[in-house]
Amino acid sequence: MMQFLAGADVGGTFTDIVQYDTTSGTLALHKLLTTPDDPRRAIIDGLAAMPARAGLVVHGTTLVTNALIERRGVKTGLITTEGYRDVLEIGSELRYDSFDLQIERPEPLVERRLRLTVRERLGADGEAVLPLDEAGMRVAARALRDAGVQSIAIAFFNAYRNPAHEQQAQRIVEDECPGIAVCTSSGIAPEIREFERFSTCLANAYISPIANRYLLELERSLAVPLFVMLSDGGITTARAATAQPIALVESGPAAGTMGAAFLARQAGWDDVIAFDMGGTTAKLSLIHGGQPHRTHELEVARLARFKKGSGLPLRLPAIELIEIGAGGGSIAAVDELGLLGVGPRSAGAVPGPACYGAGGEDPTVTDADLLRGYLSPDRFLGGRMRLDRRRAEAAIARLGRRLDLDTVATADGIARVVDNNMATAARVHIAEAGTDPLRYRMVAFGGAGPVHAYELARLLDIREVIFPLGAGVASAIGMLVAPRSVELTRSLVVGLSRLDWDQAAAVLADLEEHGREVLRQGGVADAEISFETAADMRYAGQGFEVTVPLSAAAIASRDPAVLQRAFDSEYRARFARSLGGMPVELVSWRVRSIAPAPVSEIRFAGNALRQDPLIERRPAYFAEAGGFVDTPVYARAALRPDTRIEGPALIEEAESTAVVGPSADLRVDAFGNLTMHLKADPG
Amino acid sequence: MVEANALDQTVDGRAQAIAGDPIALQVVWRRLIAIADEAAATLRRTSFSPTVRESNDFACVIFDAAGNAMAENTIGIPSFNMTLSRTLAHFLSIRPAGDWQDGDVGICNDPWLTSGHLPDITVVAPVFHQRRLVGWTGSVAHQADLGGIGWAADARDVFEEGIRIPPLLFMKAGVVVPEVDQFLRANSRLPDQVLGDIAAQVAAGDAAGRGLRDLLRREAIADLAPVSHAVCERSERAMRRAISGIPDGDYQAAIDLDGTGEEDIHLALKISKRGEELLLDYTGTSPEVGRALNVVTNYTVAYSCYPLKCALDPGTPRNEGSYRPIHVQAPEGCILNPRFPAPVNARQLVGHCLSALIYKALAPVLGDRILAESGSAPTLRVVITGRREDRRRYGAILFINGGMGARARRDGLSATCFPSSVICGSMEIIETQAPLRIWRKELATDSGGAGQFRGGLGQDVELELTTAEPATLSLFVERMQHPALGALGGGAGAPSRVAWNGRESGFPLKGRSRMQGGDRLVVRYPGGGGFGDPRERDRAAVRADLEAGRISARTAGEEYGL
Repeated sequence: MMQFLAGADVGGTFTDIVQYDTTSGTLALHKLLTTPDDPRRAIIDGLAAMPARAGLVVHGTTLVTNALIERRGVKTGLITTEGYRDVLEIGSELRYDSFDLQIERPEPLVERRLRLTVRERLGADGEAVLPLDEAGMRVAARALRDAGVQSIAIAFFNAYRNPAHEQQAQRIVEDECPGIAVCTSSGIAPEIREFERFSTCLANAYISPIANRYLLELERSLAVPLFVMLSDGGITTARAATAQPIALVESGPAAGTMGAAFLARQAGWDDVIAFDMGGTTAKLSLIHGGQPHRTHELEVARLARFKKGSGLPLRLPAIELIEIGAGGGSIAAVDELGLLGVGPRSAGAVPGPACYGAGGEDPTVTDADLLRGYLSPDRFLGGRMRLDRRRAEAAIARLGRRLDLDTVATADGIARVVDNNMATAARVHIAEAGTDPLRYRMVAFGGAGPVHAYELARLLDIREVIFPLGAGVASAIGMLVAPRSVELTRSLVVGLSRLDWDQAAAVLADLEEHGREVLRQGGVADAEISFETAADMRYAGQGFEVTVPLSAAAIASRDPAVLQRAFDSEYRARFARSLGGMPVELVSWRVRSIAPAPVSEIRFAGNALRQDPLIERRPAYFAEAGGFVDTPVYARAALRPDTRIEGPALIEEAESTAVVGPSADLRVDAFGNLTMHLKADPG
Repeated sequence: MVEANALDQTVDGRAQAIAGDPIALQVVWRRLIAIADEAAATLRRTSFSPTVRESNDFACVIFDAAGNAMAENTIGIPSFNMTLSRTLAHFLSIRPAGDWQDGDVGICNDPWLTSGHLPDITVVAPVFHQRRLVGWTGSVAHQADLGGIGWAADARDVFEEGIRIPPLLFMKAGVVVPEVDQFLRANSRLPDQVLGDIAAQVAAGDAAGRGLRDLLRREAIADLAPVSHAVCERSERAMRRAISGIPDGDYQAAIDLDGTGEEDIHLALKISKRGEELLLDYTGTSPEVGRALNVVTNYTVAYSCYPLKCALDPGTPRNEGSYRPIHVQAPEGCILNPRFPAPVNARQLVGHCLSALIYKALAPVLGDRILAESGSAPTLRVVITGRREDRRRYGAILFINGGMGARARRDGLSATCFPSSVICGSMEIIETQAPLRIWRKELATDSGGAGQFRGGLGQDVELELTTAEPATLSLFVERMQHPALGALGGGAGAPSRVAWNGRESGFPLKGRSRMQGGDRLVVRYPGGGGFGDPRERDRAAVRADLEAGRISARTAGEEYGL
């Protein structure tokens, strides 16, 4: 194994490079401005600034998600089954807002004139009802070629059950349209439900030429093996990723969650809520046993950012996280009902909060945090930016007059509303996951995360919060600590009692072999590879599937009762009841092929600055203490291990400020992590 | 339901303070809505029937102790949210609040007391905190089967339509009443699904109860009444403000429907606007009919208020206060206020059309906020039930939708449910659940009404019964002779069409028929009406529609003058 590994996270403002030395186990960091015109430049410059040359680079990118949001993909065509030309345009048929008569639907990524149909049909059992009309297929392929498309998606009805027709069609397209990218729905997302599968296939077709060019050119300019972060928190080679670049859609957020999960795990915490609050949104994800919660359903590029149903559905393995319109830049205003509302409208980075003095007039969460004494006007972003207290005051006072509240009460109100918005969303998310907030501790990061973690934890009855060392570059760390993995799936709807075990075994063997092949291409030795098998199952007639992890022994038993029991117990864990006796059916098989992460432990250069950690004392507002309290402010970099600090206190570092409230205390552990304990709420 | 119960008289200073505080009230209000959403998430996750889970045919509401609706789930069936209040009021009139204990769960599907037809079961339950009644939870869900002739439009009275569950207790102190459970099981063709979905409704109520108790504990308040009054009052004020923008006066409209085949249906409406209030009077509407198109008052009121809320005040969260300024009356014995035991199973075929009537009446004064008529109102439904060759039972409801009417400045949404809110599930899923092959499901060219803004397109669907066994086909088809009309100069959308093995007549459009293996059905789901003069339509938009095949060359020339 090579000595140096690097992670490169390209964010909206900064590109973070971390480099890990496998001999010493230590990490070097470098932060530089992102180069939006060509993000590769900052990566290359950042790597060049490292003391040694990395032998392998892992990269997380927002390229795919941005291309979908900004509709910057290539001109794409679709060939589908006769009778199903409009699946992508028809969608779910639901209005995503119950009362707003003026809503629009997202335009499909392919316009109607480039959606062509061909005669063929598979039954629900995968048998061919009509053979593929090869001549018609050639006509359609040529028509799209002549229309100038750069990419073609082939998505046939019931193809989740049998890829034969799609593969046959793909060969014809490759033959007729050399140089044009082509993908199939059974190749990209072989899952039942035509809208979601077609949508995933189309999104992949739409971005693949751009994403693949970027990945291959980056690898060439780096001249070392390049791995990329996938949406499910695994990494794979850039070359393997080109087979299905849509899997990169949540690459950035997945890296952050993987990093948070790792940093918490390294501090000995396994069940945590990762709370990342930035400028525009807050993201929450659940981590169980050190592993982020995964999902197979996501929606991207929403027209109304926080309204479910207003975007493009995708079916692919991804780390599950919720995004809330709550960030430092979220704007506070009086709503139509005379109440104080905060977000989802955001002042963003430009013009930003009023206190940035860059022309923003609207009061934001950051302005409120400044007035509450939580942020230092002189040391924001490590002193790179001065905050203008007078402007913040003026903006919040204007809002307060409309509510008949003084400035401080208004600032406190802004914080209360935004904290409750996040807590409410977190509760719904935790309820949907079928778990309980009391089980978790919290790991807080992002610019505003440590500022709001104390109140959010109180609202959720969470007793411990960690501000890990390295949180400022959690995403870049996530790339180094992610396993090399690939998840493959195949739908096969059948009642457990009628399951054909030979067929199932063949499907699993095929998925394992395919997964092994992908990992081998990334230089993984067979001995390193392990497999996790799961089945999506449901009560027959119920449309909601539960992903049930299955042991090798359970599968080897070839006993439907064993699978039924595994399902019952998973169902009970999620819904607090099961309906024993109801027939169960299997919907999809999933196999995740995994090799261990390149990095399993990180040590940070541990020498604390030899200076008095106490920077100053300043008044900070705590409603529970009745108002402003004279509060000590510490420099995190100067805190020694085993230091104990009683709340209230503020701990400053370049990326953020950790707020320790009056009902909490803080401890510095041997690694430099800060752990905040909240005392039991007397309420 | 605004009278406070005796317990509410206790002065709760902290709750009063929240009610008057623009920050605290915001926090609590959002939490109440989130609690209703948590209940809905629980119901959806634990339900059995595809109707609830895949198609969204349910709703959840939370009430204060006096029975005022405080909050509802964000995307529910619009009518359910409103009829729930009325069902709870009926429960409390026969079983006073003081007679309920923790763990009691009420159940009812009487159409006149609930949402207008037997398949919808309403479940309500009290919420206690520190041994005091602090609120109620309620949900309505469309059940898979409650006996009788099933979901069909051709019954002669309600007794044919299935079992009627009067308001009674399904659970007492947390334990299912065995007689009720057995009675329901014995009367359903799909007892496991039905009892499973009722259990899901109970679980949803439990989740909402937990949420409410947590809210009370966290805010350190004993009672929700002051908060409830405050949110209802603010919603009421918003609605009154919106209504006051309409000039005082009387606004009238009438529309005709296809009718039952035996009887015509005429709907007449006069909206009187005075100050901040609206009175909707349906005098002049046809009498009740001999088939299942009759609309009970609860449903008439719900589908009168909903389109008004959308046009007048879409942004304010909905609760009891939203509708206090709106009054609805329909003469007893008319199709919008039928007498027991009139058949009511297909009440949506008339009830959904009230939105068209209301928007037509208000078009002269609210032109920029209304819709042209929608092809998706009423919902056209095809229901196929039967047994496979191996005698396994199946049932498939196609929740497919026509086009929505055009807006004043936007085209209508194609294939979109309005005013109902159901999701069309996957056709691949349907094919795994029933011996059907769905050969086609595609937007229908020229089905959107012409206009400066075009109506939403309807759909063409073609299906085949693939088993050798015969099946029962139940159709709910409207808008064959009366397509969705345009607004302010816009043209009508395409009408419905049904062809059975090529024949377009000789079978009931609102009723049941026997379908044979191999039969093919072709259904046109109607398009929405257009808005404004088609000659005023942006030329580039006409050309784009032509190029995409949304309109034909002929329509482009004849209707749009291209």
